[in-house]
Amino acid sequence: MDIQSCKEGMATVVSVTGRMDAITAPAFEKALNELIAAGEIRFVVELAGLDYISSAGLRSILAIAKALKVKGGLICFANVAGTVKEVFDISGFGSIFQMHGSVADSLATFG
Amino acid sequence: MPADRSIAFRLILVITLSGTLIFSAVLGYNYYRSRLVLQNELEHNAENLAMSSVNRVETVLTSVTKVTEGVARSLESGRYSHEELLGLLRATVRENSEIFGACTAFEPLSAKARPYGPYYYKQNGQLIYDPEVSFQYLLQDWYQISRELGKTEWTEPYYGDNGANTLMATCSTPFYEISGGTRRLKGIVASDVSLDWLTGMVASIKVLKTGYAFLLSRNGTIVTHPSKEMIMNETIFSLAEARNDQGLRALGRKMIQGKSDFLPYTDINGRKSWLYYAPIPSVGWTLAVVFPEAELLAQVKKLSLTDAAMGLTGILLLAIAVVFIARSITTPLQALAGATAAIARGDFEVELPAVRSNDEVGTLTTAFQVMKSSLKEYISRLTETTAAKERIESELNIAHDIQMGLLPKTFPPFPDRHEFDLFALMEPAKEVGGDFYDFFLVDDTHLCFVIADVSGKGVPAALFMAMSMTLIKATARQGFPPDEILARVNNELSRDNDTCMFVTTFCGVLDTETGELVYANGGHNLPLHLKSGNRVSWLPKSGGLMVGAMEGISYRREQLLLEPGDRLFLYTDGVTEAMNEQEEIFSDQRLERSLSAVLGHGLRESVDGIMAHIRAFSGTAPQSDDITLMMIHYNGTKDSRR
Repeated sequence: MDIQSCKEGMATVVSVTGRMDAITAPAFEKALNELIAAGEIRFVVELAGLDYISSAGLRSILAIAKALKVKGGLICFANVAGTVKEVFDISGFGSIFQMHGSVADSLATFG
Repeated sequence: MPADRSIAFRLILVITLSGTLIFSAVLGYNYYRSRLVLQNELEHNAENLAMSSVNRVETVLTSVTKVTEGVARSLESGRYSHEELLGLLRATVRENSEIFGACTAFEPLSAKARPYGPYYYKQNGQLIYDPEVSFQYLLQDWYQISRELGKTEWTEPYYGDNGANTLMATCSTPFYEISGGTRRLKGIVASDVSLDWLTGMVASIKVLKTGYAFLLSRNGTIVTHPSKEMIMNETIFSLAEARNDQGLRALGRKMIQGKSDFLPYTDINGRKSWLYYAPIPSVGWTLAVVFPEAELLAQVKKLSLTDAAMGLTGILLLAIAVVFIARSITTPLQALAGATAAIARGDFEVELPAVRSNDEVGTLTTAFQVMKSSLKEYISRLTETTAAKERIESELNIAHDIQMGLLPKTFPPFPDRHEFDLFALMEPAKEVGGDFYDFFLVDDTHLCFVIADVSGKGVPAALFMAMSMTLIKATARQGFPPDEILARVNNELSRDNDTCMFVTTFCGVLDTETGELVYANGGHNLPLHLKSGNRVSWLPKSGGLMVGAMEGISYRREQLLLEPGDRLFLYTDGVTEAMNEQEEIFSDQRLERSLSAVLGHGLRESVDGIMAHIRAFSGTAPQSDDITLMMIHYNGTKDSRR
């Protein structure tokens, strides 16, 4: 799993590629927690390059979402596709998180 | 050098070999230098010896020459009567011990003149007078040579004809009558010299044990030699001829040319020798001294042998010392190796050899002692840790057993109910996982069934699973519809859920009389509907969030009518995400194909068949997640079947 992040206007765009499973999910959680600790509270997580997500990955996302909720922040997802999209749909993540077709669309929601 | 030999062997081999090499080199060089020095010394000695001998010979011969010439001068300066002449000859022979005989041979004045050559010689201490009565002497060498050359000459050595058979040589010199400025030859004065003293003297020249000297005449004839048969019989040239030795011939030429030299030489017996030769000027003879090389080098050889013996002893002592040192190194090492082998077998009580020295072996032993105690400590700690781990593992196993015990495992579960049948199977992964299923009758006509998967593994997942299962059952028993059950359980679980654990849950309530199924999906894998017409279809997505993830979530209530003969298949993601060795997942597609393949089989056979497909797919790849399968067959009531 590889994580890249960059600041785009109001939000931070985090690109995740590879697999997010029990082994790699803690790294994702740690990376985002560090960004949150640095004061970032608006995230666009770009998942076009993510091949697989396990329940551990979902749990990490959920933990980040909860942490942001406390701080009044927001996390949304861009370019969720393939099996990851399936998992998002089945797990109900699609109903609680904003998902967009592009990073630009996601950024637009932050104004 | 073989590497499997012992250190002692290698040390001895290397040290003795190099010691022997060094020693041999030193000895060889020493031998070579000694030889050179000895050779120089020898040349010097040889020269001295030869020159002193030459001088002695020269002294005698010169005195004879002088006496002979003295007689000649006397005869030239005065007139001698016959008696006076005899008196002169007698005195000459008597007073000169070296002279054997003296003669005055007169040149005949005419062919008819009477020969006159009075001769005195010694015999047995007596002086014998021999008046020469024939002109025989005119043909003799001694007469002819001196007469022709007009000067003092020595003859070649010869055997005297006086019966004594002694080796003789004659010195002859002419004397003249000088009158009115003209010289006329009057005769020849001759002195015979016995060479016995000379042979005796040369024979007395002893060089070491077997060295010797020999004398060559002007022509190269051997005059004296330790081998008597060669005297007067051989010349150096005849020897060279016999041996076909060009070197000897060249040497002979140099010798009779009156030169001197020191050179290596092979003597008549074939022994390697050194030869020194020098001329005796007055007679033109050559004295040669032979030094046998073997004897010359005997001292050097003896010294070298002594050196070699000492060296050998030294090397032997060195080898013994090396053995001793090697032993002192290897013995503790062997003891250490033995102790180490014991430690390797797990015997930490073994005694290590005592540290006797402060050297590397001592350091090694000390290090081993430290290692032993560290190992001992480490092993005991490891044993404790292992025991603790085993205890935890056994507790985990118990937890797993309890967890499995929570699941209903009696099939068919409701043998007296014919409207439906149900079969479930759970294949837990190695670790304690979070899958569970449950089913129970809420009332006489309503069957509630649940399949769920808790996120994560281990004890937290097990606890969360037990909690979820209990909450669902408790809530369902109160008669709530599935969406309400999930919503209530969700609120319970998500409250104070700091670890963000969740459980994907599918919960359904089947009206056993009508086949009406009400269900809600909390983020769980979509079940499949197996219609009696052999059609397989996925239940629609409902978008429900996993239970426990977020408080205050509501779930959609879905409905499905099961026709008699329909089946519902539920499973967890351990099925679709089962991996094979190529890290491919079993996938929804394979599951669908697998289901189609078991259509028409009995309920249990169908579930077992799907499980077999998954196992065949995974092969030897380890199972990483729980695999749970549940299948419900709806028969309908007798009324509806009719």
